[in-house]
Amino acid sequence: MPTKTVTAAETDDEAMKKASRMSLMRTLLPIVGLVIIFVIFNILTHGQMIQGLALTFSDVYVTLISSMGVFFIMTMGGLDFSQGSILGIASIVICALSKYNVALAVIAGVAAGAAIGLINAFFYVKRKIKSFIVTICTMFLFRGIIKYLTSNTPVAASANLTNLYSVPLLVTLTAIVLIIGFIFFRFTRFGTDLKAIGAGETAAKFAGIKTDKTKFLIYVLAGAITGFAAFINVLKVGSATYNSGSMLETKILIALVLGGMPISGGAKVNFLNVVVGSFLYVVLNRGLQMMGLTTPTQQLIQGIIFLVFVFIFADRESLTVIK
Amino acid sequence: MSDEVRLEVKNLCKSFGITKAVQNVSFNVYKGTIHALIGENGSGKSTLTNMLTGIYSIDSGEFILDGKKVNAKNQVEANDQGISIIVQEIGTLSGLTVAENIFLGHEQRFIHGGFKNTGAMNREANKLLKEFGFDRIKAGDMIDNYNFEDRKLVEIVKATYFKPKVLVVDETTTALSQEGREELYKHMNRVRDYGGCVIFISHDLPEVLDKSDRITVLRDGQYIDTVNSADVTEEDLRTLMVGREMTGAYYREDYGEKISDQVVLSVKDVTVPGIISDVSFDLHKGEILGFGGLSESGMHEVGKAIFGASFDREGSVTLADGTQINDIPTAIKHSIAYTSKDRDNESVVINQSIKDNICLPSLDQIAGKSHLLSDRKQNEFANKYAKEMSVKMVNVNQFVSELSGGNKQKVVVARWIGKDSDICVFDSPTRGIDIKVKQDIYQLLDKMRKQGKSIIMISEELMELIGMCDRIMIMKDGKINGEVKRSPELSENDLIGMMV
Repeated sequence: MPTKTVTAAETDDEAMKKASRMSLMRTLLPIVGLVIIFVIFNILTHGQMIQGLALTFSDVYVTLISSMGVFFIMTMGGLDFSQGSILGIASIVICALSKYNVALAVIAGVAAGAAIGLINAFFYVKRKIKSFIVTICTMFLFRGIIKYLTSNTPVAASANLTNLYSVPLLVTLTAIVLIIGFIFFRFTRFGTDLKAIGAGETAAKFAGIKTDKTKFLIYVLAGAITGFAAFINVLKVGSATYNSGSMLETKILIALVLGGMPISGGAKVNFLNVVVGSFLYVVLNRGLQMMGLTTPTQQLIQGIIFLVFVFIFADRESLTVIK
Repeated sequence: MSDEVRLEVKNLCKSFGITKAVQNVSFNVYKGTIHALIGENGSGKSTLTNMLTGIYSIDSGEFILDGKKVNAKNQVEANDQGISIIVQEIGTLSGLTVAENIFLGHEQRFIHGGFKNTGAMNREANKLLKEFGFDRIKAGDMIDNYNFEDRKLVEIVKATYFKPKVLVVDETTTALSQEGREELYKHMNRVRDYGGCVIFISHDLPEVLDKSDRITVLRDGQYIDTVNSADVTEEDLRTLMVGREMTGAYYREDYGEKISDQVVLSVKDVTVPGIISDVSFDLHKGEILGFGGLSESGMHEVGKAIFGASFDREGSVTLADGTQINDIPTAIKHSIAYTSKDRDNESVVINQSIKDNICLPSLDQIAGKSHLLSDRKQNEFANKYAKEMSVKMVNVNQFVSELSGGNKQKVVVARWIGKDSDICVFDSPTRGIDIKVKQDIYQLLDKMRKQGKSIIMISEELMELIGMCDRIMIMKDGKINGEVKRSPELSENDLIGMMV
């Protein structure tokens, strides 16, 4: 009889150890990866990356902010492919209104993003269509509108807005958005509710979480957040073209997965996924460019790395059909 | 009965995570016997037969059939090695014809040059159906055109037409009418008569004693004993299954206590289209109100309706202060708790920690005035109630998916005790739980009742309703068909009469 108890305890321990090893790897691997990639690229480019750090990181702000919204969506088990088009539309709105009033332009940009999020939310929550189908549709729809609006000439932002550009401002704004997001996610029931929905929607509902309302609001929120990212984008580039925000959705998805986020969301997500992932993606991207690789080669390498990370982090136990 | 061993079960083990479902089980099944496998829920009966039929993989140990090791990775391979199974739930596939179901996985014999000869398949299936005496079932019809009972008959054909050496019948009889049972017994006997063996899993002890030749008892995944049916009584079997003297009270022991006049919840004309109609009753303070009936009687929906979880509900659920309960958040806010029969989908968030599961409905309360949650606050809360319910766990960060059914149920109950709910709706609170935890739960319900909490207990187990409830409502076809009061004279038969 005593032998039985010992084996039972051992199995318990083993299971727990295995689980904690996995969660440790989920947290550490992206950070270690970030450091290694950063060092490797600096060696390969003879320190150019460190010297051009501001330039390298100039890409990271938009990715950081907009991937936070998608992080919330993915935590509750959804997906969003319309982020690039949201950024494009919001950029056009901000540029067009910037000649009247900068504050108005920013508010309108955020509202435009939220409005597209609302459309996603309506079809996803009220009409019960899978989120990736809905957002692929809105991605094409609004990409079309962007191309229509910018076909002849890009929409330029007024000097009122572009004159505000400074690196400290970008850093501060990005940091503020992220810190607010972090506090809400980590220290209020907002984060817990999202994780519960991602881990088991029916059970979450039976525990009193307003699942439909939460799902609806989160798409609107993600749209609004990317609307704000559009402001950062316009500050940086000064205009909105037919290409604004193109492929942003893929960047975000890759960044989050590189950051260690399980695609199916749920209990194992970590806010750090957003930050580490965004930096990892930007460093990787910039490094490949600096090495003078052609675009196809860069994409090939990115694709391989993406696949490897998805393979490592896929939470196979809870992987169901993404909502 | 011969002495020739047909199937040898040797040192079989199977674990799910940290749960040891089957531990080192060995026994022999003889040629031409019906061999019953009995035990409490969770004793490992189905796990064992699922390994035999290739549904689960084997951790260690082996099955030896006629001297050859069984090595099946799925049911079709098991069939090829002479093993088949009739399962508890629906074992036929919708969208296929009767013939396609019978020959599922064995279509090759009707395929020539890449084309399936449907005519030949249907002719063969019709011939078999006729041999079995099920003429009214036509091979070419879609299986969906037939009711549960007829689909079971098709499964009998599917599982036995090729004269398997071993036939597993897994708790099939509970779902069948007397007529269907007789058919099944007939074909079990047929398998025995041609020298095959039947592994018969059933909870119905009189049936087991009547139909089987030998009986193996499992408990908590371990082999206990194998006996000849002729040598034992029902009482002997029960003792073997439970394996210990129960100490202390099992159910409530009081009788004749007056129920309070204070109504805490009033259900009026509640209808959920197609499931329940015009259900009305009052729940009193400090009362345990039971709901019994067949699984399809609508009693499970009553619980959902009270909790605001029913889709398309009509009628009203009103608290003593006049509050209407129409959705789950309102129900929880007004101190109503609910545990579902479908524990893994509706009660616990399976891929989340014990901590999160216990804290979920109480997050606002845990966060307090600041609306800020911290790990410390949540850990304290979860630990307190997990300990109170004595959940067997490593710590509160362990995922619920790793717990046994009984422990999952304790986590759910801990959640609602943490919420301090005054009205608790427990649907099948002891389903799939071993006898010790059952006793804990019964004692807890009794304690809650004495604290003035009102409990609705929905259960398919009549004995626990009789043992625990002040009043029992019996449901039939979506309606309340009768009400009985607590009494020591009450027997299962009194209730069954109202159920069917």
